[in-house]
Amino acid sequence: MIEPLDTILSLVLLSILFSFGSSLLPGLIEVIAFQGIVVSIVPLFLAHDMVPAGIAFTLVTLLIRGIIIPLCIYLAIKKIAIRREVEPIIGFHASILAGLALIVVATFVSRKFDVPSISASALLLPTTITLLVAGMFILIARRNAIAMVLGYIMMENGIYLVGTTFSIRALHIVEFGILLDVLAAVMIMAIILQNINHTFDDVDTALLRTLKE
Amino acid sequence: MVEIVFLIPFITGILAFFLSRNYGRALLVLTGVVHLVMSIFLWALRPSAMFPDYFAISPEGLLSLVVISLLFFLISIYCTSYLNAAEIHSEKMFIGCMLLFLSTMTMVTLSDHIMVMWIAIEATTLASAPLIYTHRTAASLEATWKYVLICSVGIAMALLGSVLITVSMDAGKVDALVSFSALTQVATRLDPLWLKAGFVFILVGYGTKMGLAPMHTWLPDAHSEAPSPASALLSGVLLNCAYLGIFKTNKIMFAAGLGDFSGMILMIFGLISILAAATYILKQTEYKRLLAYSSIENMGIIAFGTGVGGIGAYGAMICLIHHSLIKSSLFLTSGNILLGFGCKIIENIGELVTRMPRTFVSFFGGFVAISGFPPFGIFVGELLIIIGAFRAGYFIGAAIFMLSICVIFAGFANQIMKISFDESRTTHRIHATMNMIWPQYALLLTSVILSIWIPETLYRTILDAVTSIGGGI
Repeated sequence: MIEPLDTILSLVLLSILFSFGSSLLPGLIEVIAFQGIVVSIVPLFLAHDMVPAGIAFTLVTLLIRGIIIPLCIYLAIKKIAIRREVEPIIGFHASILAGLALIVVATFVSRKFDVPSISASALLLPTTITLLVAGMFILIARRNAIAMVLGYIMMENGIYLVGTTFSIRALHIVEFGILLDVLAAVMIMAIILQNINHTFDDVDTALLRTLKE
Repeated sequence: MVEIVFLIPFITGILAFFLSRNYGRALLVLTGVVHLVMSIFLWALRPSAMFPDYFAISPEGLLSLVVISLLFFLISIYCTSYLNAAEIHSEKMFIGCMLLFLSTMTMVTLSDHIMVMWIAIEATTLASAPLIYTHRTAASLEATWKYVLICSVGIAMALLGSVLITVSMDAGKVDALVSFSALTQVATRLDPLWLKAGFVFILVGYGTKMGLAPMHTWLPDAHSEAPSPASALLSGVLLNCAYLGIFKTNKIMFAAGLGDFSGMILMIFGLISILAAATYILKQTEYKRLLAYSSIENMGIIAFGTGVGGIGAYGAMICLIHHSLIKSSLFLTSGNILLGFGCKIIENIGELVTRMPRTFVSFFGGFVAISGFPPFGIFVGELLIIIGAFRAGYFIGAAIFMLSICVIFAGFANQIMKISFDESRTTHRIHATMNMIWPQYALLLTSVILSIWIPETLYRTILDAVTSIGGGI
């Protein structure tokens, strides 16, 4: 039987593959926004009891992860009118292939773990592992600073998924604090990006190489 | 009551964005005084928190809090003169962020909930990022970018580790608060596999922020590009805050009977950091980066000592306190040198002893202290760590430790001699005022006093802290 939760999670996996194949920044931002929305509605499909506060919190998460953060970055690139390529270090075809391999490995690895609270869904653990590693991959394999921020957001999405699904003792006030921290981090990164573009006329991180041994 | 200590700098920090220059500076010093007084009250009275689920007073937290408070007070006095001499683009921003930075660091020392700890440590990154970008140069921009990105990604790992610890609670069917103190009490019932995984992620995460190699790459850049008072805060207390996260997790590990596992990992990271510092310190060309690598070395020493346990853990605590005092004094002094010579390159600087004699005294004193000579406290701490390593039978570790410290001393001494006595063609610009001298003297003097005579209450608190991770005299 196919659970609705697994359908949602397969959308997350697809969004990872799409993000690996995106060559332009606006496309990549759209994929991350979509991913943020999908990831934040996952708690609604879990069997845990849903209280009004929980639903409200999910909606706020959706607003921040799915709309405010992507919009913040979108406005940043609009404002600085830079080149739109993500400047890959590892090519797109190789990236997608690596993404597929990653999903296979994650599925294989997740069979070794036994997490009591998530036995309901077969895809949950593979998806979270894939999200975490995929975020790291984008951080390493793209030279464009904005793509790196998007990689960081993808990692955070993965951790959010771990936090809300693995453990049943989530406290909304605490998670809200985490969410605010992430939001502030992304905003500060966006401000730095604008300054980097202003100073260097580009956001290629290869230009940031003066401080080294 | 407890929460007020970090709420006050938070409020004054926001206020500072709207005040004029002179009021802003007065507010900075005033907050420093109030914070110091309140920290001493907390130390003496040890009240309970308004939100005991999230905040609590712990011995290791108190130690860090008092060090933060004392340092911030002295640095705020230094700032009043420094801001006159240095060209700071937006002083409101600088003072506001300094106060917010103080608030977030205080929150780290008082937080007991695992996730609140994470929130506070991430907030320290965000509050200090604008400080590094104060000078608005391309290099400082690069340093800020590296700092925010590397630390955020690193700390994301710590968040994952924190979540894994809650998974270990579910797996072990433990029903308790997700706070360090509650988990330490029920540690034996936690699922060991998930707990170990959580510890490793937390160590890598907070280790990034603490400056443990190989995750240290942001540290020399951020410390050298930030204005000197901010560098002093970054090196003197921010690194301690990150260490606190690791220390408290290590407490749970020790209570769960996994102390050997966590100790071994801490020792390995510690030795790698010391070795990395020894490699880079030899060929340093900038004195602020030199000091930054010395911080990496000392964080490595502290991690190693914590891992060794026994008397070594006590030594690590001593090193932690004295490193804060001495390194912040050195960074403040480096601010005087930078203002005096207008240059960060060691080659261009010399004759410090004749040109800036009072600055020379604190610079050379700080160098002697940080290299581990008596009568300064680092000597006592390192000696105890070495004794602890021998007692526990880690002979190879102790050998690497001692050899690296010798190499670091040689490299450090070489550069310091150049700065102090070599000829210099650079013209000397300004003289340091008294307010830019005596805070450093006060810090070094505190270090000397504390290594000769430790007050009973301080000794008890250190001992309380280290017995929870298997340390002791």
